[in-house]
Amino acid sequence: MAFSVPVRLGAAENTLIEQLNSAGAAATAERISVAGLPTRRVESYHYTDLKTLLRSVPPLADQNDTLDAFLKSGATPFHVEGAHQITIANGAVAYDDNAPAGVIVGKAEGNALSTRDDVLVHLNTALAKESLTLTIENTIEQVIQIDRRIEGEAAHVLDSAKIFVADNASVTILETLSSSDAAHVGNHATYLAVGRNTVVTHIVIDLSPRAATQFSTSEYTIADGAKLRTVTIHAGAALSRSQIFARFTGEGAHGDFTGLNLVEDGQHNDITIDIRHGVANTTSQELYKQIARGRSKAVFQGKIVVERDAQKTDAKMMMQGLMLSNEAEILSKPELEIYADDVVCGHGSTCGELDEDSMFYLMSRGIPKAEAETMLVRGFIEEVLDPVENEALAEALHGVVDRWLLGKAG
Amino acid sequence: MTTPILEIRNLHARIEDREILKGVNLIIPPGEVHAVMGRNGSGKSTLSYVLAGKEDYEITEGEVLLDGENLLEMEPAERAAAGLFLAFQYPIEIPGVATMTFLKAAMNAQRKARGEGELSTPDFMRAVKTAGTDLHIDTDMLKRPLNVGFSGGEKKRAEVLQMALLQPKMCILDETDSGLDIDALQVVSKGVNALRNAGRSMLVITHYQRLLNHIIPDVVHVFSDGKIVESGDKSLALQLEAKGYADFDNAAA
Repeated sequence: MAFSVPVRLGAAENTLIEQLNSAGAAATAERISVAGLPTRRVESYHYTDLKTLLRSVPPLADQNDTLDAFLKSGATPFHVEGAHQITIANGAVAYDDNAPAGVIVGKAEGNALSTRDDVLVHLNTALAKESLTLTIENTIEQVIQIDRRIEGEAAHVLDSAKIFVADNASVTILETLSSSDAAHVGNHATYLAVGRNTVVTHIVIDLSPRAATQFSTSEYTIADGAKLRTVTIHAGAALSRSQIFARFTGEGAHGDFTGLNLVEDGQHNDITIDIRHGVANTTSQELYKQIARGRSKAVFQGKIVVERDAQKTDAKMMMQGLMLSNEAEILSKPELEIYADDVVCGHGSTCGELDEDSMFYLMSRGIPKAEAETMLVRGFIEEVLDPVENEALAEALHGVVDRWLLGKAG
Repeated sequence: MTTPILEIRNLHARIEDREILKGVNLIIPPGEVHAVMGRNGSGKSTLSYVLAGKEDYEITEGEVLLDGENLLEMEPAERAAAGLFLAFQYPIEIPGVATMTFLKAAMNAQRKARGEGELSTPDFMRAVKTAGTDLHIDTDMLKRPLNVGFSGGEKKRAEVLQMALLQPKMCILDETDSGLDIDALQVVSKGVNALRNAGRSMLVITHYQRLLNHIIPDVVHVFSDGKIVESGDKSLALQLEAKGYADFDNAAA
């Protein structure tokens, strides 16, 4: 019965196929020429139909281009007092001889992600030429910032980072995605191996201008006794999708997966997470907040998988949406897939407008309407930002949200 | 003649198709405390919400003057800056907003609306500390999100703290005694009494006489079916307590 009808390929797909062929990635090129980019019929892209949304793809960035010039081109858009910054510009990893003790920075050929049937992963694997390698050996007080930027004319940029956090170490890693004001397509990959008994915070924040499209994929393996906190923040790009694939591989580990999806007029931003409890006695909490205003679309897909051996898993997922306009759309799809029989799992999803009673209460104290709204929105997102312990970083993150609230982000 | 702090003339208000206020008349001169007593559902709380500017109600007739100014034309925040304060029966819990942050925002917003400069942080802290001491409010409580997880007593004390900091000319206390035990009632009442002065007026809404033993009113009004049907001195409250509201229902009819 299953006759496969050849799909009609669009401009974006044709460009991707050319780029893949020129990079010698014939298998991936073939895959795209047969299946095309995923449409709404592909479950994991149901709300983010890439075939429709990704109209064109710019030429691949020339990595031999002047990296130095890029580095001198301006300050990072997101400065955190005291952070150590490592730059990846247009896919090329900048030389860094200034890393703090206990942080080993290097680069390796190829890509960091594991094989996975996902088009963004396939593209990154085929086209990212080198990866930043980062090893965290012990407790690092300084925030380590990976500044991923796209400079110059519109470019398709694929970059990659492979991070190892050694047993008993602790670190806060901040990744910032930014770009010049052009129709770039970024595809960023991070593999983060979270060692035993570590405490790791990993933040990915997209600050690109509206012209850009940004994709990012973060993959985590979480060992015994580790405590991982991830924060994904979308505050830029017309089209973006952040994917998180995490797997607990050691007992006694805990993960907090959190994020803010901030969308405004003309934006379509997607956070898709896939959290796998692979062994017994691990816990996770997922908390994502989406705020939409203007004519925009915010998408959250959250999947928790509890594998057969993962008894005593405790996992709770929550998505809360806040609609600030009538034209905004907030889409949320929570999924639980449970193969063990002794687990506590739950999910919830809520969506609403600013609470009228709360607005009235604040205004009755003399706080004007616009300020009251800002206070409530800040209050709404506080649950996600509050656990970020580094003060300078927390302040910078609040700054991003405040700029978004004032309509000045991206 | 001195301008009354609050003057309500023939006020009618409805929510959807239902008329709730049916011609309220009330004059409160400076420095006086008036109590409004009435059954549940008689429209007392509606009166307080209408005065504070809640959107749900439609004013169909009448006018309200706050110290001579047309109150009904003002936005809720403007009413507050003009000196109106409503102590809520059920203060709203606002997660993620620290009480301290809220207090500072409210004080500064009102100062700004009146053309005054922002309070410095030390001045603000000093004001909060002074006002908080008598109400048994410590700074730990103020670091918590606004009203979130506060006990009934804490919520009402926090309302009175706001009143003390914002220094309104017209305070409306909506069922301030609800949810309070005897000890908490005394602390709250003491806080309110400390704010009584010659320039500030109060409207105390309650359906129990109990609160009026602590906050002694100059005038007591009986509210029934959307309007004031009887007014008298504080003995009226005792009379109500003894006989109930039934005697006044005819007056309303």
